[in-house]
Amino acid sequence: MDIRIITYESTSAAGINVRQLRRAIDTQQSGLSRNDLPGSSIDTWIGKVRGLEEIDLGPWQSRNNALADLAYRQGELEAIVESLKTQVGSHRVGVVMGSSTSSIDRTEQAYTELDDGSLAEKYRQAQVHNPDGPALFVAERAGITGPAVTINTACSSSAKAFATAARWLTTGIVDAVLAGGVDTLCLSVLHGFHSLQLVSSNPCKPLDRNRDGINLGEAAGYAVLVDAERNPQLVDRLRDGCSAASISLRGYGESSDAHHMSHPHPDGAGARNAMLGALTTAELNADKIGYVNLHGTSSRANDLIESKQVADLFPKARASSTKAWMGHTLGAAGITEAIICIDAMHRDLVPGTLNLDELDDGLELNTSSENTEMPLKYALTNSFGFGGNNCSLLFEKHQL
Amino acid sequence: MEKTDIPPLSIVGCGAWSPWFENWDAFVAQVSADELEEHGLKAPAASVIPGTERRRAPLPVKLAIEASMQACAAASMDPTQLPSVFVSGLGDTQLTDYMCRTLASENKALSPTRFHNSVHNAAAGYWTISVGCMRSSNSLAGYEVSMSMALLEAAVQANSEQSPILITFYDAPVAPVLQPLLHNRHAFALALVVAPATAADAADDSKTLGTLRLSSGVGQSAWPELGLPAPLKECYETNPAARSLLLAELLIHKNKDKPVTVPLSNGTSMALEIS
Repeated sequence: MDIRIITYESTSAAGINVRQLRRAIDTQQSGLSRNDLPGSSIDTWIGKVRGLEEIDLGPWQSRNNALADLAYRQGELEAIVESLKTQVGSHRVGVVMGSSTSSIDRTEQAYTELDDGSLAEKYRQAQVHNPDGPALFVAERAGITGPAVTINTACSSSAKAFATAARWLTTGIVDAVLAGGVDTLCLSVLHGFHSLQLVSSNPCKPLDRNRDGINLGEAAGYAVLVDAERNPQLVDRLRDGCSAASISLRGYGESSDAHHMSHPHPDGAGARNAMLGALTTAELNADKIGYVNLHGTSSRANDLIESKQVADLFPKARASSTKAWMGHTLGAAGITEAIICIDAMHRDLVPGTLNLDELDDGLELNTSSENTEMPLKYALTNSFGFGGNNCSLLFEKHQL
Repeated sequence: MEKTDIPPLSIVGCGAWSPWFENWDAFVAQVSADELEEHGLKAPAASVIPGTERRRAPLPVKLAIEASMQACAAASMDPTQLPSVFVSGLGDTQLTDYMCRTLASENKALSPTRFHNSVHNAAAGYWTISVGCMRSSNSLAGYEVSMSMALLEAAVQANSEQSPILITFYDAPVAPVLQPLLHNRHAFALALVVAPATAADAADDSKTLGTLRLSSGVGQSAWPELGLPAPLKECYETNPAARSLLLAELLIHKNKDKPVTVPLSNGTSMALEIS
């Protein structure tokens, strides 16, 4: 499989775009801040994106759509999509978005302003108050008319978006996919995760002996994908003779824990299957993986269970969790961390596990809080969601 | 017309549930009736969900699980071996309503169970947990084109991975506050088990209920009108999952060499043929 990443952008608390994200990584500067979400008194830290309140989308208004819009305006993303539409036709471009909140932020707000028990006029937005809101908005915003769908599998959503995109591309139903994800901070997620006692009142510390819960964050991100085996000329035209290394999705693995809605499988069997699945579809041995970006939420359970499997499968790989930079961005975690992985490969720079002071006992991982310069050819990223829904993505760097 | 053909799939099992029929056979018996009778059950049994969980399982979850169980049994397939694609066009609006009401009030404490049940992939989660399936499961939303998008996604996956797959369409009545926007008043679920059609399968006719051919291509289309009894017709038109009634019709009557076109996206349509 050679699904080329033509361009990518990411907006999170760590930076409005990839350029700012790089700076945050290089300076080890976390974007987390104390929870100040209106209407919430939960004592925790969050990864909040600034400036979303100023964005006005008319009938598409929601915080989720505002963040999706902000991310879409970054870098060369919009220019590349426009170029694609001209070259292959807007109906030959697909949209696959991952999200778990899907604009419930707007529904929450609507319920605080009910007009005699009914939705007030400005909230009568059928295309926003439904779980496909993200793909509907992005297709409209980008003027893409090909197949569009929202994947909602909690925290694995926008990683699975890559798998779906890969299959659409190799089957030939579209020539390019705008794959991505978006999730925003809202009372549902804050109070929901709080009710499950998963949220920490401190900045999160993935993998740390003293970790005591997660921090929630919001993010949006996109990657433009083209099948280089089916469409090599399209890849070349879009990259316009760029001589930098090219990154592709080489494999993916998807699995289920079949255990519990909100606790991971205690032996990490599902996580293991997803990672093995990625190696199988990539036709690659585990010892080739140079870097693993962990799901690493900073929950007691996830980090222990995931680390055991990663240490067992990839003893020589460098590993890190990057969630202390922007928090756990839920349905957008997949795309956010895929982009971190891809960008790490471009720069041969592995981000450290920010906020790590003391690696927990029994976590035999090749990790530290420091960033590491090292040549990377293959990397893997994990996203594991509620309901035991797992996805691992394997990326390859081609030297040109 | 520029189009992409998906290699044919055998439909090997079906399941269904609605206020008017509790399974696929009951559906087939009634679909040509002039009048439908409601059986009076508020929710399906979904008996594969363990007792303690079943009591707290939301209606959309029960709908999806019931139809899925039936389809696997009809296909004589071990559910633990099947990857799955679940789709709900509207999500669990009763839980959305509960959460939004609670969060708009003074006491914002949410029930942890209801919170983890509110994820869109609750059905996929309950399914894989209840039957012990560790294969890939997906949970999609496609609003008004949920049926065609999920069918395409599952067909592409079955073909890419050369594996049989479970596809389940389900949508529940919309909570009152969101009703003016999202309309649906009916519970409905339909599930299919499909497998890539091979020469060997084609020879073994007893297993196959029909062969499904799909293609996607440029152009817009409208949902075809179906000659259904009144309440089912309304269901077909307002319940995104119930657009799968079209598949059921084609499966019963077949439309070999006369493909039917359905909306897929703003600029594409999907042609369906079941022979």
